[in-house]
Amino acid sequence: MRRRLPILAVLLALVLIAAACAETTEDTTTTTTTEAPTATTEAPSDTTTTTEAAGPKTIIIGTTDTIASLDPGDAYAVHDWELIKNTGEGLLGWEPGELTLRTGLAAALPDISDDGLTYTFTLREGIQFADGLELTAPMYAEQLNRLLTIGPDCPNGVANALASPFFESITAPDDATLVFQLSRPVAFVPQLLATATFMPAHPDIFPADECVLFPEAPIYGVGPWYISEYTQAEQTVLEPNPYYTGDLKANVDRIIIRYFSDPQTMALAVQNGEIDVAWRLLGPELVSELEDVSELSVGTIDGGSIRYLILNWAIAPMDDLNVRKAVAAAIDRDELADVVYGGQVNPLYSQVPPGFLGASEIYDDLYASPDVDAALGYLAESGYSADNPVELELWYPPEHYGAATADWMALIEQQLEATGAIDVTLTAQEWSTYVTALTSGEAYAAGVLGWFFDFPDTSNYLEPFVLNGGLGTEVTDADNVPVNDQAQELLDLLDAASVETDLDARAGLYEEAQRVYAELVTTLPLFFEAEHVVYPAYVSMAGDYASPETLAIGPNLEFYYSVLDIDK
Amino acid sequence: MSPLSLIFLIIGIPALAGLIYIFVRGSTGLRRYIVTRIALTLPMILILATLVFFVMRIIPGDPVRSALGPKGSPETVARLRDQLGLDDPLLVQYGRFLGDMARLDFGRALTGGRRPIVDEMSERFPATLELVIPATALALIIGVVGGALAAAHRKRPTDYALRLYSVVIYSIPIFWLGLMLQLLLGVRLGWFPIAGRIDAVVGTTLDRTTNILVIDSAISGNWTALGSALWHLVLPVLTLGLILSGVFVRLTRINVIETLQMDYIAAARARGIRERVVVYGHALKNAMIPVITLIGLQVAILLAGAVLTETVFSWPGMGQYLVQRISARDYTAVQSVITMFAMFVALISLAVDIIYSLVDPRVRY
Repeated sequence: MRRRLPILAVLLALVLIAAACAETTEDTTTTTTTEAPTATTEAPSDTTTTTEAAGPKTIIIGTTDTIASLDPGDAYAVHDWELIKNTGEGLLGWEPGELTLRTGLAAALPDISDDGLTYTFTLREGIQFADGLELTAPMYAEQLNRLLTIGPDCPNGVANALASPFFESITAPDDATLVFQLSRPVAFVPQLLATATFMPAHPDIFPADECVLFPEAPIYGVGPWYISEYTQAEQTVLEPNPYYTGDLKANVDRIIIRYFSDPQTMALAVQNGEIDVAWRLLGPELVSELEDVSELSVGTIDGGSIRYLILNWAIAPMDDLNVRKAVAAAIDRDELADVVYGGQVNPLYSQVPPGFLGASEIYDDLYASPDVDAALGYLAESGYSADNPVELELWYPPEHYGAATADWMALIEQQLEATGAIDVTLTAQEWSTYVTALTSGEAYAAGVLGWFFDFPDTSNYLEPFVLNGGLGTEVTDADNVPVNDQAQELLDLLDAASVETDLDARAGLYEEAQRVYAELVTTLPLFFEAEHVVYPAYVSMAGDYASPETLAIGPNLEFYYSVLDIDK
Repeated sequence: MSPLSLIFLIIGIPALAGLIYIFVRGSTGLRRYIVTRIALTLPMILILATLVFFVMRIIPGDPVRSALGPKGSPETVARLRDQLGLDDPLLVQYGRFLGDMARLDFGRALTGGRRPIVDEMSERFPATLELVIPATALALIIGVVGGALAAAHRKRPTDYALRLYSVVIYSIPIFWLGLMLQLLLGVRLGWFPIAGRIDAVVGTTLDRTTNILVIDSAISGNWTALGSALWHLVLPVLTLGLILSGVFVRLTRINVIETLQMDYIAAARARGIRERVVVYGHALKNAMIPVITLIGLQVAILLAGAVLTETVFSWPGMGQYLVQRISARDYTAVQSVITMFAMFVALISLAVDIIYSLVDPRVRY
């Protein structure tokens, strides 16, 4: 009996393994895939789906981003929005490569009521999800109402930023009409509605009463693509929507997004031909290296990611306007860009980066930075000098904005101390502790932060730093009460701009708001980071779009996969 | 069934069968030893998990703030902290953690979409296994062959070269070696892919069952996928395997040298047995016993090496996951991964000890 035991044990093991394997053949967990949708009725799209003998035309795009949520009612990250925007379409959208709005699902621009509180859209005809389901206005309204019902409690909470503060209700009086009722008039409703947040989600995939961050593939939208499969941290596969009738039809048969944990590896992968496009986030150092590779093109997009110093009104020595002005005058942004980043970032002289409505260079006009004599003059007005230097504690997170942060913060320390009248103590702090302390406005007099827009509009570069405490600037308090008359003037300008629908008038208001903002020196813009897209010669654009060198990725960083073509 | 469960079945059932066999056939002392080791393993894992739980909460950092950044309003931060149970007393959180761990549930990640951690590990752990098993095999082959060769040619150029190799390779930072291999064999010569587990296009043709791609492609008969998976394994396995091989070379060498000085080896030589048979047939076999012990000890180092290797090669395994979650201060995910690693190391150590006792009849418990 004892001799038979091992044989029995091994046999038992084999039987169990076989049973386990048999059970799992019907069950895939890590990769969610199903068959491609086929049009049961004649698909109206003339989408190119030519499958050549060499196999489907595929473009592989690399990124160091990850997927955090695929639910339009929850997603609040650049890559998530990119996937949602390529698989979906909004009432309004952006022209590829430009900051110009165009109609998407809407047949025309909206009718706006005289009080600016009601926006009425008519849907264009024949909108279908990639599985053939027709989109109606009531269905769309029900999906958008998720933002107002379950949205605020979804993990990433995009609804709290982009929906709840502005929209009171969304209704559909008939199958083709959508009515947005606002709680207060705002001029940037079109920009909001062009975000991924307001794209229709498939009702069978995203139920009305639940946030579904990672639904099983296939994930259908009404856009030019659908997600046929995705494997976390490995790849996402997109295939053309056979029912798509919009302007951005797919030109290749498949897009694969490959995820990288290390930008260096992604840079090598595009050199090695393992990916066709390297997109987000390579970093300035790697971009410099890739620019030297003759087979590759590097497209530079002056994106909206800015770095700035928070100068806290409520904490000494930044409670002194002269000190804030002195800091503004002493910092040499060109040196930061050139010495630390080899010219791969751009000096920034307003909180609003170039390209946005009304953007100016007001800090350069007011403080002619660097101007050490001017800085010493401001300090002298408050009694500071080489014998009585101002003591400034400057904080930063060492990792969150990249390894170079410590270098440029050290350079800022040198520049400030070079005045001879500012004594800087540079202190690093772990990111989450840091951001809590800085934005609460109660701990740090000065510290660095970064900002990236939620929706590409000038208001998104000014209001967050002014309203309700202003993320640690304390130019207003938590109840939005301004600290002085100038701050009140700034609030009034921002209020006026937020409801002004005439673009020229709005630009003028924002220019004036930037002037007042810079006079208050509530923040000190330093530089903005460009984004880069790297690709070989065999990747091209299929149509005539703006910014061909960046594959039609514009300042809003919208990447439409449909513009891509490949000849490999 | 998740890939993780399937892998546990594939590894666990034969292991259990082996354990039953040893238990039935082994001596009373060996049985007592196995029971004691298993009994000690559980408190060891508990102590480690407890340490990780409290250390993660002592070090600075908050997962909610870390994830939301400056855009997170105080209301959103408070709501999320409440939803995640981070405002509960520490002991309540600890009790919940232990309860989840006892059910092998591990709860949900605090960041990155808050998916069940078991699901995330289920995707990641097979990738790590696919990397570390061949890397260990490579390290052993190089280490044992190289060590025996060095011992057989003691104080000759081969010996010096291999000793130098073992020291140099052990001192090289793993990420540097990985990068050099990527640049040389990947970019410069174009022989091997430098990132990922499988070609992106070929990967779409593969049905995943265990998520160990070599196995999945083999059982589904997808030979293109098998070739691609093997091809993608080369550089990461080479990186991890070479780094680990240094210590095996040195250990094997010293043990073979010691064994070669023993009486029974002298007797074998006196009987006219050929030197090759003496070294590789008699001495190496006995010298392997400490090497087997070292395999158990190296598992922890292997996993640490996998963290770096996976990052360099964008290999979506547990190591890469751990790095990402530590950065995000995701307590739940980090403590779960480390607990999982601890269990893995403990089980391998147990297996090695049992094998050790079987290989060396002198060992008594």
